[in-house]
Amino acid sequence: MSNAEVPAADHGRASSTARPRGIGALLLSEFALLFRRRRTWALLSALAAIPVLLAVAVRLSGEGGGPSFVGEIAGNGLFTGFAAITVAVPLFLPLTIGVVAGDSTAGEASLGTLRYLLITPVGRIRLLLVKFAAAALFCLTAALTVMVVGILIGLALFPVGPVTLLSGTQVPVIDAIARALLIAVYVAVSLLGLSAIGLFISTLTDVPVGAMAATVVLSITSQILGSLSQLSAIHPYLFTTHWFGFGDLLRDPISWTSFGENALLQFGYVVVFGSLAMGRFVTRDILS
Amino acid sequence: MRPWSDADHSFTCDSEDMNTSVKRWVPFASVPLVAVAAAIAIPLSTNAAQDLPEKTPEELLTFVAQSDVRAFSGEFTQTSDLGLPDLSALGGSGTGATSDDSSIAAAIMELATASHDGRVYVDADNGARLQVLDRLGERDVIATEDDGLWVYDSGEKSAIHITATGDVPDSPTLPPADVPTPSSVAEDLLASLDGTTTVAVGSTATVAGRSAYELLLTPRDDASLVDSITVSIDGETGLPLGLAVTADGSSSPAISVAYTSIDFSTPDADLFSFTPPSGVEVTEKTSPANEHSDPATPEPGTGLPGATTSGSGWTTIVELPAGDASAFEGLDAVTTAVDGGRVLSSSLVNVLFTDDGRVLAGAVSIDALEAAAR
Repeated sequence: MSNAEVPAADHGRASSTARPRGIGALLLSEFALLFRRRRTWALLSALAAIPVLLAVAVRLSGEGGGPSFVGEIAGNGLFTGFAAITVAVPLFLPLTIGVVAGDSTAGEASLGTLRYLLITPVGRIRLLLVKFAAAALFCLTAALTVMVVGILIGLALFPVGPVTLLSGTQVPVIDAIARALLIAVYVAVSLLGLSAIGLFISTLTDVPVGAMAATVVLSITSQILGSLSQLSAIHPYLFTTHWFGFGDLLRDPISWTSFGENALLQFGYVVVFGSLAMGRFVTRDILS
Repeated sequence: MRPWSDADHSFTCDSEDMNTSVKRWVPFASVPLVAVAAAIAIPLSTNAAQDLPEKTPEELLTFVAQSDVRAFSGEFTQTSDLGLPDLSALGGSGTGATSDDSSIAAAIMELATASHDGRVYVDADNGARLQVLDRLGERDVIATEDDGLWVYDSGEKSAIHITATGDVPDSPTLPPADVPTPSSVAEDLLASLDGTTTVAVGSTATVAGRSAYELLLTPRDDASLVDSITVSIDGETGLPLGLAVTADGSSSPAISVAYTSIDFSTPDADLFSFTPPSGVEVTEKTSPANEHSDPATPEPGTGLPGATTSGSGWTTIVELPAGDASAFEGLDAVTTAVDGGRVLSSSLVNVLFTDDGRVLAGAVSIDALEAAAR
């Protein structure tokens, strides 16, 4: 984190502590703080750059072919969103989530704002819930950014028409956009487990960079474990297992199985790492 | 983090601190423990299957044969644990040839080494559809009486359209017969049972949330690598719900396929009409109307030209005549050298590639294959 952000962060806290603090007010203040940060906007701009780069590259080269969905962009601009989210899911989205979730309490601790935050009549558990809510909101914003920017740049640069689903059925543009937004929700849900892990790691340390890096490394490790067929016994329990299951929303009829399994799995991770984070945060001595 | 200054406190105070700290942890630590325990215990717990009226093996076979499920849709999972190395990387690079034979071989290899999820939609009056749900892709087989058979691959962007030659308005085979489903595969298997198999009724099981009979098929011939085949049969309708093949000396199935959910309402008729989307390469093929074609699961020995068989029943060995031996060079990485050739060995099937280019395969030991090759 750069020094330039410190005053902004402090300012956000100072203005909100002046008001009476219920959990609702705290939540609003946390959301406002999230979106007041230049870092958040930098992360979102980096994510928005993915579909733009993809679309421009396809437009300039004029070539078809390529990995899943990329080859279809030239024929139908709506595929830019699908292609961009496919590119972003394995690395870029976990990277940004790692930054936001890993920073959640470790960042406050390193800035020295955590103890002031705890003076306010808000329990530590509530504070942690608010931090998680902010991370979850960022998950949704990040996924929607990739998808919406992808659709918009696709509309701008390429022809748009009925979309061919994986099952070979063609659906009208409105239907395809609805499915695209559903995919963004799916991706946001599938990042919740990682957010909870990041939050837990963040309560372990006062060094935000360490928590961010550890979170990102865990997401990559989990994907590597998921690709080893020798470890197929543990695959159903990896939080990355269903990350690419959003393809099921592009079938005809939609297969909700992976959506449900993914939601249940992520809920499990949130419960486990959420309570570990609470246990750590409640019993911890806050020194900074 | 505990500050160093804590060391100044007395021993009793410190241990009290410890105790309160541990106590405060309890509620938070118990939640993950419960969650992890539930995650492990729930899949393991066998759902108590409802008692079904007892049936003899013969009654059960009749029950399946008389089953009159006209329409259903279901999701299924197929798993393979043959002890084979992952051959998916070989698929494209192996020979470079894209002839039908090699793509069929690649498809069989892919089916044998990987697990799949799929969906089936069957309506005896309208058609049948099989969807293999790949990651970010899908393969479809759609059969209707009016429009023949469509095979669509979203990854390859290709479609094959097989129509019957000549106008045969009342085709003897119903369209759903062209599309393999877990039920149809099991029904075909049960219909082909003969004296070489012992049939017994096992315990009841729960498949796709329904109580099911388990029919246990055991080869009489001990030489077969197949230990047993278990067919789950829906207790209410008599529709086979699953199939599991266990290899000799193994406790878990080498191949299994079973519905994870099933619905006996009539599927939407739109599912059976297929129009190839734009940008898809369509290959038109014709097949004589009387010849039963089954592109997704070609039966060894019947679908391959020039194949001969020796032995019978469970120990049948299929032999392909001498061909281009160089076609198998790419397989060196996954085969082991034996006297007179190379062997691809799995828990259920052994394949011998002889030096003179013949291929012998069967659910028998490598020794038996070598003996047959001489």
